[in-house]
Amino acid sequence: MLRFAEEVMLLLLNDEDGSFMRVPDWSLSYALSGGVLMDLALEDRIDTDLEKLVLVSDTPLGDDLLDPTLADIVQAEDKRDARFWVERTAAWSDEIRERALARLVARGILETRDDRFLWVFRARRYPVVDGKAEREVKLRIMEVLFSNELPGPRDVVIICLADACGLLRRLLGKNELQAALARIDQVRKLDLIGQATTQAIRDIELSLAVLQQQNTY
Amino acid sequence: MEIGESRLHDALVLAPAGRIDSDTAAAFEARLLLAAEHGEGKVVVDFARVGYISSAGLRALLAGAKKVQNAGGGVALCGINMNVREVFEVSGFLAVFTARDGRAEAAAALA
Repeated sequence: MLRFAEEVMLLLLNDEDGSFMRVPDWSLSYALSGGVLMDLALEDRIDTDLEKLVLVSDTPLGDDLLDPTLADIVQAEDKRDARFWVERTAAWSDEIRERALARLVARGILETRDDRFLWVFRARRYPVVDGKAEREVKLRIMEVLFSNELPGPRDVVIICLADACGLLRRLLGKNELQAALARIDQVRKLDLIGQATTQAIRDIELSLAVLQQQNTY
Repeated sequence: MEIGESRLHDALVLAPAGRIDSDTAAAFEARLLLAAEHGEGKVVVDFARVGYISSAGLRALLAGAKKVQNAGGGVALCGINMNVREVFEVSGFLAVFTARDGRAEAAAALA
């Protein structure tokens, strides 16, 4: 089973050429960070409520995507809320991203291809070798968005993360997105870490909008 | 964790007591899964004696209720006190679950 950070990276890929869709850096950082925390929650290492995130077990998982954050939480002296940990874990989101991609390559799902353009600049692409995992993630999302059945906890998380970094509007057509908006809003709230992730991203967007407005006048 | 069980006509009523958190969520979910395996068509979860529910508890409720639903049944909630209600409201659970004040109303809502 893939970790949420791996699933987010798969959703970001343009299937045609192995490049990535452009999303704001901060939203991807927080989505990867939230994904790590949500995996730790599903692995019974942490638990959360409206006020705090608590350590449940300090036993490492033997997983290089999750264990560094678990170790960070183990060492923390004060109990902080989920939002604090989303922001803190986002500080090493570049490593999470690279590790997630390396794991997808090691699993045979992606391959790496280094290109040069203008004979100087190097660009790494990740063409899909085995599209099964990516199709399954997208199918899970569609099944939940276009039904009224209860979503499973994993479905809630991936919909929340995809929405948080603006991927759903790219995965769905305009009419599909319009039809699914109410359901997206309903599902993405169902996980408290997911809510903290979304709120962190919204707050940055709001700050940027305010700055932009100030610069306009 | 103690989970009281009773029947109200054709509905199974589960009444967990205490905290539903990382220590107890697995037992709570397991009881809902058992209800799904037994083909219970109507399951009412009475939260009157639950003073605290964490993310792990919310996930257990969601996962267990989904199994009941997949088996052709339904889950409704009742007896939600102030502490639990706040968590349910913030997390949007009241938008995806049928919730009523009393057991009989919750069971009837599943008809």
